[in-house]
Amino acid sequence: MMRLVVLLTMLCCMSLHAQTAGQPGGLQGSGAEDTPWFQQTPDNNKFALIIVGAAASDEIRQRMRGWATDLHASLLADYGYVGNAIELLIDDGSNVGNAAAIVSGGSQIEDITAAVDRIAEDSAPGDQLTVFLFGHGSSTFGDAKFNNVGPDMTGNDLAGLLAPLAGVDIVIFNTTSASFEFSRALSVLGRVVVSATRSAAERYDPVFGGFLVAALQEKRADIDRNGRVSVLEAFNHASGRVAQWYSDQGRLSTENAVLDDSGDGLFSREPGTGQPDGLLAEIAYLNVISAGVQKTSPEAIRLQSEMQTIEREIFILRNQKVNYLEVDYWNRLEALLIDLATRTRRYNDLP
Amino acid sequence: MTYPDVSRHTLRRAIRNVSAITGLSLLSIAPVPDFFVPVLNLRVAITDSAIAQPIELSALDNLTRGNELLLRGSYLSAIEAFNAVRDDAWREQAALGISKAQALTGQYEQAISSVRALVRDPADSPGAATQLAELYRMTGRSADAEQLLAQIVAGQVNPPVRSLVQYGLVLDLRGNSQEAAQQYNAALARYDSGMVFDSADVGMVALAAWKLDEFHDANALFAEAVRLDGNNLEALTLWGDLFQEKFNDADAETNYNQALTINRRYTPALTGMARISSPERYLAMSLEVNARDVAALETYGLLMVRNYQKDVGRGYLEQALAVNPESISALSSLAALAAIEDDMAAFDQLLARVNAFSPESSEFFAGVADYLGNNYRFTEAVGYARRAIARDPANWHAHTVLGGNLVRLGEEEEGKQHLEQAFDNDPFNVMTSNMLQVFDVLEGYATLETEHFKVNMSQRDAQVLWPYMAPLLEESWQQLVDKYQFEPDVPVLIQVFERTEDFAVRSVGLPDIGPLVGICFGKVVTLISPDTLNANWQEILWHELVHVFTLQMTQNRMPRWLSEGISTWEERQARPEWGRRLGLELVRAVQQGRLLPVSNLNEGFTGASSDADLSFAYFQSYLVVEYIAEQYGFEKLRELILEYAHIREESVMFANVFEMDMLTFDAGFRDWIQQRVDQINVYVHVEDSADEGAGHGHGVRENNSAVLAELYNNESLKQHMRGRVEQQPRDFQAHLQLGIVLFREQAYDEAIFHLQTAQSILPDYAGYPSPSLVLSQIYEAQGNNDAMMEQLSVMLQNQQHDYASALKLAEAALTAGDTEQADYYLSRALAVNPYRPEIHRSGAQLAQRVGDTQRAVQEFEVLVMLDQSDPVDARTNLAGAYLDNQQLDEARRTVLRALETAPGYERAQDILLRAVERSNQSTSSGAATQP
Repeated sequence: MMRLVVLLTMLCCMSLHAQTAGQPGGLQGSGAEDTPWFQQTPDNNKFALIIVGAAASDEIRQRMRGWATDLHASLLADYGYVGNAIELLIDDGSNVGNAAAIVSGGSQIEDITAAVDRIAEDSAPGDQLTVFLFGHGSSTFGDAKFNNVGPDMTGNDLAGLLAPLAGVDIVIFNTTSASFEFSRALSVLGRVVVSATRSAAERYDPVFGGFLVAALQEKRADIDRNGRVSVLEAFNHASGRVAQWYSDQGRLSTENAVLDDSGDGLFSREPGTGQPDGLLAEIAYLNVISAGVQKTSPEAIRLQSEMQTIEREIFILRNQKVNYLEVDYWNRLEALLIDLATRTRRYNDLP
Repeated sequence: MTYPDVSRHTLRRAIRNVSAITGLSLLSIAPVPDFFVPVLNLRVAITDSAIAQPIELSALDNLTRGNELLLRGSYLSAIEAFNAVRDDAWREQAALGISKAQALTGQYEQAISSVRALVRDPADSPGAATQLAELYRMTGRSADAEQLLAQIVAGQVNPPVRSLVQYGLVLDLRGNSQEAAQQYNAALARYDSGMVFDSADVGMVALAAWKLDEFHDANALFAEAVRLDGNNLEALTLWGDLFQEKFNDADAETNYNQALTINRRYTPALTGMARISSPERYLAMSLEVNARDVAALETYGLLMVRNYQKDVGRGYLEQALAVNPESISALSSLAALAAIEDDMAAFDQLLARVNAFSPESSEFFAGVADYLGNNYRFTEAVGYARRAIARDPANWHAHTVLGGNLVRLGEEEEGKQHLEQAFDNDPFNVMTSNMLQVFDVLEGYATLETEHFKVNMSQRDAQVLWPYMAPLLEESWQQLVDKYQFEPDVPVLIQVFERTEDFAVRSVGLPDIGPLVGICFGKVVTLISPDTLNANWQEILWHELVHVFTLQMTQNRMPRWLSEGISTWEERQARPEWGRRLGLELVRAVQQGRLLPVSNLNEGFTGASSDADLSFAYFQSYLVVEYIAEQYGFEKLRELILEYAHIREESVMFANVFEMDMLTFDAGFRDWIQQRVDQINVYVHVEDSADEGAGHGHGVRENNSAVLAELYNNESLKQHMRGRVEQQPRDFQAHLQLGIVLFREQAYDEAIFHLQTAQSILPDYAGYPSPSLVLSQIYEAQGNNDAMMEQLSVMLQNQQHDYASALKLAEAALTAGDTEQADYYLSRALAVNPYRPEIHRSGAQLAQRVGDTQRAVQEFEVLVMLDQSDPVDARTNLAGAYLDNQQLDEARRTVLRALETAPGYERAQDILLRAVERSNQSTSSGAATQP
């Protein structure tokens, strides 16, 4: 089944590519013209780089570390990462208590550089790296920084550090305060960048990071029930929770998460269908794709192919929804869904 | 009128720049330079020069000084100064000043005498004649005023603007609105031709514009008048009156205050302020200056009437009429009082008095309608408002009154039409505008119906609240119809507003309604959505529904105290955990001597100056009803209600029902109260504050002393409380506070002792925190889950507003497999907050466990609205519930929505296929359904 989903997603991407040809970059990789971005195949490896910066207080330190270690655990348990594919960098790398076994360094620039070098060594074009930044940020115009141990790091610094990863698809989650300017410096075609804040003025410690980790844990953000969590799903889930949190507290929100995946440095608050951003984030999954057990009977192969075709038709129909009369749309959709459900049931019954 | 040797323009400048006349000993009739020296220097100059070198002031000096004193409110001194003007050239000006000062201090007859001598031919002395006419109008001689002003206007090519406008006012008063409009238009034309320069005249033009419904122009003209002369008290105050007429109290207050800063004894501004805030204070100030101020007397009279001191109020209104027998406002107020008491003979007499000078006055009928509407007599109000409009279709105030009252009768469409008509012609009326905006809100609301109710509520509430409200409505109907043997008119319209401001505007026309959360108008009930409350919404709804019965049984004639008392009493009758408790609050009230005599209970409501006062008024009313029901039986209570359908003295009604006078009844009530206090047997320490809750008697009542004990954890508090307990072993508060402090110190055993003692003293204590709540927390800390749950259960017997404990108990009961208890506690949680997803998850779980497929559908339907975290799962669950409940089409529609987002979701796919299969089995048609 997992394999099926991988293939379906690729088909979906192709269809989306056709529709977004007019957009800058479309969904085609820039490193190699024929390589699509964010390929979801068992051949593509995935890495994670989790950086926890300096904390202003012990309480904040514990909170950030908690998020980072929970994320680490979730990537292992829920997303199929292996231990050495995750670089966890905390503070200065020492006094990390129970996390010592999984911490591979501190958040100094040298340690980050070393971690990126290790990933660069292990990765190949088409692989995926997801960077998570937890901690404090500070920003004056044009000089946004991530407060790591030692000299603070600017967005341009991090962009430079990531330069060796040519051909690797990169997702960045910057959950720090005043993260916007920093994140903007990382915007580039083919990359998905998420910022917990949308302007330099949002400089209070955001709660987005905590809700992001919660969204990823146990794949809570898997809205479409395909067993995987895309960056868009994680973003929507977490930012929805942030808004709810402020509403429950009766407070005005001091943070508004945004996402950019079109490389233009213009971030969207509500990425997704009909928005300038979201198409890439929708197909950028955090899960490592593993080769599933294949059914080998001729009928299973035929059914699988038919199911892929139907699911593609469903995606196309859904994207064309506005062009149909409502009754017509639902009738068509139901017919396709019944067909898909029938074949799925039959496929599952096969040995 | 001519001036001796100075042009009119020069004089005006001379007066306006009084302080520019330096030295004061120098009389200069030559044009003075246009520079300004602060007026206050004037007195200093007088004093200094008087001390340094006594000199006799000139006539102009005295005139100037008189005007200044008049402006500042030193009326007697002003009269003295004007009297000191001996020069014939200035005598007329001085006489006018004297007359004004006399009028402002209520010496109307002298004021008339002072100015009448100046008027031989009105056309020759239009200023004096106009002032005389104004005095005539103020004292009920509108016919004389009309005659005088007609002569001025006829005898002058360009009559003064003031004369024109005052003529218009008199004509208006006497019902000749067409001719009045001609005068107003003439004044405006004069302004348009560029011939009006003076601030006072511009103020008059503004008044003319106001009377012509040119409110925008009036506003601009008043602004111009005040810009021209910041000391124009008349314009400032009239401008304030304009704002007030449009219910814009904030701007009105600014204007009145500005006037009072200049002259703190200016009675029109004082009376204006009294209509906005601190009425007694401002009216006392006003009447101290002028004991015969008609507007102040009328306002005082209405205030007294509103405070149920009708006779006192009538007295003030009669005093006003003694000064001005043609005050339509006073006559209308008295007529409204007569109408409310069904004394139509008195009403007709008053109407005849009005008809004598202003036939079928629209203003008169609009005033009666407004008063009746404000006193819940909506049907009659509608009748009088219609009569006002019949006489003057352009009386936009009457349209607003008619529209507002029609809405309260549930006649939405026609009400809206009149409000729109009023707004189109008077867009400055904040009340009209507000009410129309609520119609816009209602347009987006759902309309739902049961057999006897029609309900408007937001789409969200229609999804979440309605499933639980609908059965409660019909339950209340059945119970109350049986009990009161009365069936109200149907459908009863209930409007549930998400925004408090909308609720307030719909209820009273203005966005500030204080602590009220629900209002019944007889056939219409308005409520704040439980989504914005932290209280048991079911109790509030039931409370208001009881009003529907008691108000309709008496044609809305029931006094507020009895209506509220019965509604509050019925709460407890409906559910044991609802309503008030006779505990600390009662003992404290008796101790403090706060209980009012039964005959004065309405004062508790009208005189409430805080939420606590209002809450206590509800409580005391409830006590009386409880007393009646317990001592005399419910049937007597019903008889008393029916008595109010008739127009009788309250003492007669009580005599008819209880066969005793009110004093005897009251004595019996007090004995009963004392017995209750003795039974309760709790000591209330004077230093403890009363529990405070939300107004209207609803919501959690916080025990502030105990809350403070939670915050402070010190030895001195413990020592003090131990001392209190030693002195008074039945000191509930001391035991409770000790229990709380000891709990904080983890001295659990001692804490439990004091809390259990407190619990035994007042077992049904309903405040927060309660002994049972703190005990539950102790047991939780000790890991004694059973004891904790038991205490939560004890607390919920008396505490109806606790959502979390109810849910906790429900979940525990579900886990234990006790579906009956789970159901009970879920219903308790729903009664407080139906908007929390977890309650519906538990409800769905319970429904599935007991095989209640219909209820499962209901719970999952609500969850689709509330649980936005996983819409695919929520829709799939709902689709499954539909399928189980044989709602195949709904199942298909819903699951399609889920699969649209997640086409590969196999659980949803399975539901789709099963729904299709069952549909195919049950029908031959395989047509797809439309979601």
